Amino acid sequence: MFASPTIRIYLYIAAGILGFAGTAIAILKFGLRKNAEHAWHAFRGWLIMIPLVVGAILLGRVATIVFFGLIALVGFTEFARATGLYRDWFVTGWVYAGIAALTIVTLVSPPGVATEQGWYGMFMALPVYVVAGVLLMPILRDRTKGQLQVIALGTVGFIYIGWMFGHLAFLENGRNAAGHILFLLFAVPLTDVAAFTFGKMFGRHKMRPSISPNKTWEGSFSAFLVGMALPWIFRFSLQGFGTRELILAGLIVGIGSQLGDLSISVIKRDIGIKDMGTLIEGHGGVLDRIDSLVYVAPLFFHMTRFFVGLQ
Amino acid sequence: MESWEYRPTTDFDKSPIEKLRTFPRQPDMLVYALRLVLHVLLRVWIRIYHRFRVKGREHLPKDRPFVMVANHSSHLDALSLMCALPLLKIQKTYPAAAKDYFFTSMPKIAFSAIAVNAMPFDRRENPRESLDLCRELLETAGHVLILFPEGTRTPDGTLGAFKPGIGFLTAGTNIPVVPCYLAGAYRAWPKGAWIPRPYKLELRIGEAMTFSTLANDKEAAKAVAEALRDAVQALS
Repeated sequence: MFASPTIRIYLYIAAGILGFAGTAIAILKFGLRKNAEHAWHAFRGWLIMIPLVVGAILLGRVATIVFFGLIALVGFTEFARATGLYRDWFVTGWVYAGIAALTIVTLVSPPGVATEQGWYGMFMALPVYVVAGVLLMPILRDRTKGQLQVIALGTVGFIYIGWMFGHLAFLENGRNAAGHILFLLFAVPLTDVAAFTFGKMFGRHKMRPSISPNKTWEGSFSAFLVGMALPWIFRFSLQGFGTRELILAGLIVGIGSQLGDLSISVIKRDIGIKDMGTLIEGHGGVLDRIDSLVYVAPLFFHMTRFFVGLQ
Repeated sequence: MESWEYRPTTDFDKSPIEKLRTFPRQPDMLVYALRLVLHVLLRVWIRIYHRFRVKGREHLPKDRPFVMVANHSSHLDALSLMCALPLLKIQKTYPAAAKDYFFTSMPKIAFSAIAVNAMPFDRRENPRESLDLCRELLETAGHVLILFPEGTRTPDGTLGAFKPGIGFLTAGTNIPVVPCYLAGAYRAWPKGAWIPRPYKLELRIGEAMTFSTLANDKEAAKAVAEALRDAVQALS
């Protein structure tokens, strides 16, 4: 497992980033006595998340797929609890079953032949069955009042948090699985961090004040530039990517991760909550952490499948 | 277009452990699923390791909420009583557990809330409020409350006096109270022992009792407690 040079390089990068960030925050907090509480809590959150993710990836394909499946389940739980969908046990239960099916389909699909054979067709078709089931629930119970809301929430919950995020796990069945997954797991949060940091440093003009008052055009543009640069920096893990694919990957990461963040913010603002949960110290809920990945993973998956091939 | 109304859970802003500590807990399907799996494993284990048997299961009311009271000699008690109920009933079964013991540390809270589905009973500071909570629980169809009216585990295996709380809860009401006696739990896992030993457990369930004709006062509460203690003793 440690023999894979790609994984080893990412481990060094993770250790380096954590070491650098930890030192910087410690200097701010203890040396210069600055208020770095927020960064400190976020850092502690990373200290728990990174070993969990790295551990799952090091344990191999099955552990990684199950890990992402569990993340999707917890993410959907947060969504259901935030929107009130959880009160409808039938629809919530059906979406849980859909996410479990998605994980099983990903597991039984033979690795290395991602999209040509195996269960890829079923993976792509699962939304049909799950949405059909969600639509069936009010009919079975002969209910109408509030049912469009339940149907819509169940559908968005499965398609967005279950299926779109599920593409990240399905990358495990493709060629260069670790390279693709680790690229996304590093590039997307780094773009988020860039948007936050540069926004704090240079931010002047608010980008979408109703949705996310702290986001600025300056932060967003800086994050876009960082996102565009990251595929070139992590080129060692993107085998077969030429200039065109690297640019596309940059666009997907640079723009997609910010749109993912804003999409979850739209949902949060509409509901009237600050975070989707409380599970991760300094980050909020699981959905607050994976919001960008949910958006980016399927776009990256299909771009790679189309232009590079996952076989 | 009229905007949709979202109603997040009432414990939405709380940390995971706070969510488990809060009572009544909001429904959480992941917790329910985990509890179900744990109880399937528990039922297999208790049948094999403790050769668990139940006598008098037919006395459990089927059509309304009820209270089960039993002797208290070990940590196996609440779980054993739950094992006597249908598996799908465990999500609506609430053993009252001492708040000052079971809801003090993270592992204890997680175990009490997830595996036992325990209701934190404040026996020291505010027993009256906890009894009100019990009353509320029993207003919902299908709910079962498990109480150990001795208030603590027996130090020597004998049945102690019943506290009058059970009387305040049920005197003058139609709530059925089912007396139970769990035999063998003291030998299997007495207070102070680290792990349960493989002794046989037998749960004897008596006929349900109601106390609707009594007034809800101190005297009646004591009388109910004594009557229930006698009923439990008779099953021993």
